[in-house]
Amino acid sequence: MILVCGGLADGVTELVCSRLQDCGYPYRLLNFARFPDGHRLTGRWTDNGPQGWIATDDWRLDLDAISGVYARLLGLEDRQPLPGLDPADATALRAEGDLGLIAVLEGLACPVVNRIGAGLSNNSKPYQALVISRAGLTVPATLVTSDPDAARAFFAEHGDVIYKSASGVRSIVRRVGAEQLARLDHLRDGPAQFQAFVPGRNVRVHTVGARVFATAIESEAVDYRYAHLDGLTARLTPVELPDPINQACLRLARACDLLFAGIDLKQTPSGEFVCFEVNPCPGFLYYERHTGQPISTALAELLRGAVN
Amino acid sequence: MFLLLGHGDDLCCAGVHALLDQRGLDARVVAAPVAPPAKLIWRLDAAGLTSSLFPPVPDTAITGVLVRDTGWLDPAGWEKEDHDYMQAELRAVTLAWLAGLSCPVINRPDAAQWYRAGAPLVAWRPLLRRVGLPLGEVIITSDPAEAAAFRRRLAKDGVAGAVYAPLTNTSGYLLDDDDAWDGIVAVQERTPVCLAEPHGASMLACVVDDTVIWDREQPAEVRRLDGALRRFATVAGLSFVEIAVAPVRRGLAVVLVEPRPRLEHFDEDARARILGGLVAALTKKTRDVAVAPLVLS
Repeated sequence: MILVCGGLADGVTELVCSRLQDCGYPYRLLNFARFPDGHRLTGRWTDNGPQGWIATDDWRLDLDAISGVYARLLGLEDRQPLPGLDPADATALRAEGDLGLIAVLEGLACPVVNRIGAGLSNNSKPYQALVISRAGLTVPATLVTSDPDAARAFFAEHGDVIYKSASGVRSIVRRVGAEQLARLDHLRDGPAQFQAFVPGRNVRVHTVGARVFATAIESEAVDYRYAHLDGLTARLTPVELPDPINQACLRLARACDLLFAGIDLKQTPSGEFVCFEVNPCPGFLYYERHTGQPISTALAELLRGAVN
Repeated sequence: MFLLLGHGDDLCCAGVHALLDQRGLDARVVAAPVAPPAKLIWRLDAAGLTSSLFPPVPDTAITGVLVRDTGWLDPAGWEKEDHDYMQAELRAVTLAWLAGLSCPVINRPDAAQWYRAGAPLVAWRPLLRRVGLPLGEVIITSDPAEAAAFRRRLAKDGVAGAVYAPLTNTSGYLLDDDDAWDGIVAVQERTPVCLAEPHGASMLACVVDDTVIWDREQPAEVRRLDGALRRFATVAGLSFVEIAVAPVRRGLAVVLVEPRPRLEHFDEDARARILGGLVAALTKKTRDVAVAPLVLS
């Protein structure tokens, strides 16, 4: 039995459930939007990992019977209020419940997509860039600095430069222009991250266990996922990557302990692949819907325990 | 130059600083290393990583780092949202900077350790189990019947009560009468609770590099854990970790893992050995480098 932890209103979770249904792989959905309300949970640790069960009014699932877990945990904004509690108590009880659930899931020996610790490199983009680089993928020239002169020199060297937050907070990519150059002295208050702009074609890679799905994206939009909002289009096509790039993507996912990863690449006009980041909770719905690539099927097989 | 990331009132930072100072080695205690007035230049490109925190001194001049804190930005003068953002930025940058240093870093964090500081004991169980360290029984449950069964199991072994150990903080509450257990049932109506078996007096150990330092003399039964404690530190990627073991109803069990050991928990003799171990670990590379020319000559 597969356990899916996610929100009913989340399209990606919905796709995973639909695919499991299509494949005939039995699953239970833990509605994380409501959790812990409406759910019961027991994990008991003695000498080994947790034994116990998870239940709702409609089902009960022994932890021993779980072959794989797909967890797409929701932000606070997508959680339903706990009824009859003041906000402070609700926050405290919800945090306690979430940590309890996470402790139980992390203790399971079966595949867990993905374990919490695995995704935390996403909170530090420069740290993640190091991990990417050590996995054998090229990263864009990156400067993190609180020195205005260093930033000016980097801009003079590369000409076309973007900046983005170093953490996962306010993570919006913008180009450095005259306005930003005029404000570089503010760097003395705290460092910022700059990257050389990399021209070329976006390629999104999804690794599922040992499988690799690569999608090329052609679009004039700055962010191709929202091309339609600007009246632009995005054309997505499945592509085969050179084997060394495939292998490096798999190495990267393993280095991050991610059974399922979304990796953002760009293929430059000279054919080189440059990696920007790895997403531990990829919203792959967009890519599968546009290309028909069987990402969710591969994920279903991974969760069923059919593949490593 | 040695950097001690933490605060001057931390016994560990202060003690290591004093020992390094005695040896005539330059050391600085810094609470938030990448915050002003530091001037960070961290660059990663096809040529590799270059980094400099205090230009014109390159990071290669930093000979060792002791990490006691993830960096803290004084909220005074900040709007809360902006402070949260800047705090997240500084922590993200500090993690990357530490990861790129080539000198000894105690403890060099990975992202999971950095962002899950203060993880509850249950999160360490898979690693503790893997290296063969003994563990007590823990249950996380929202089912009053399971909690009652746990209470009965403990009572059968002569233990009158359990410890309610919230996962969101480090406190623990002994459930030793019916009223306390009724209170737990009330919480369970809303959320799962974490219950652990009570334990006796803790015996504290610090693993520093590959040395296990116990607080006070411990019996052979306890010292037999030394090998497993060293293995744990290795697999956890921690060169400095505090671990407490204590008697539970069926022998000894690990009851605490603290990746930021508190020197206050140890007696004077253990403190001195811990500080000596830290300084030895920090200066290891420096010592090797210093020895090399002598060998060559």
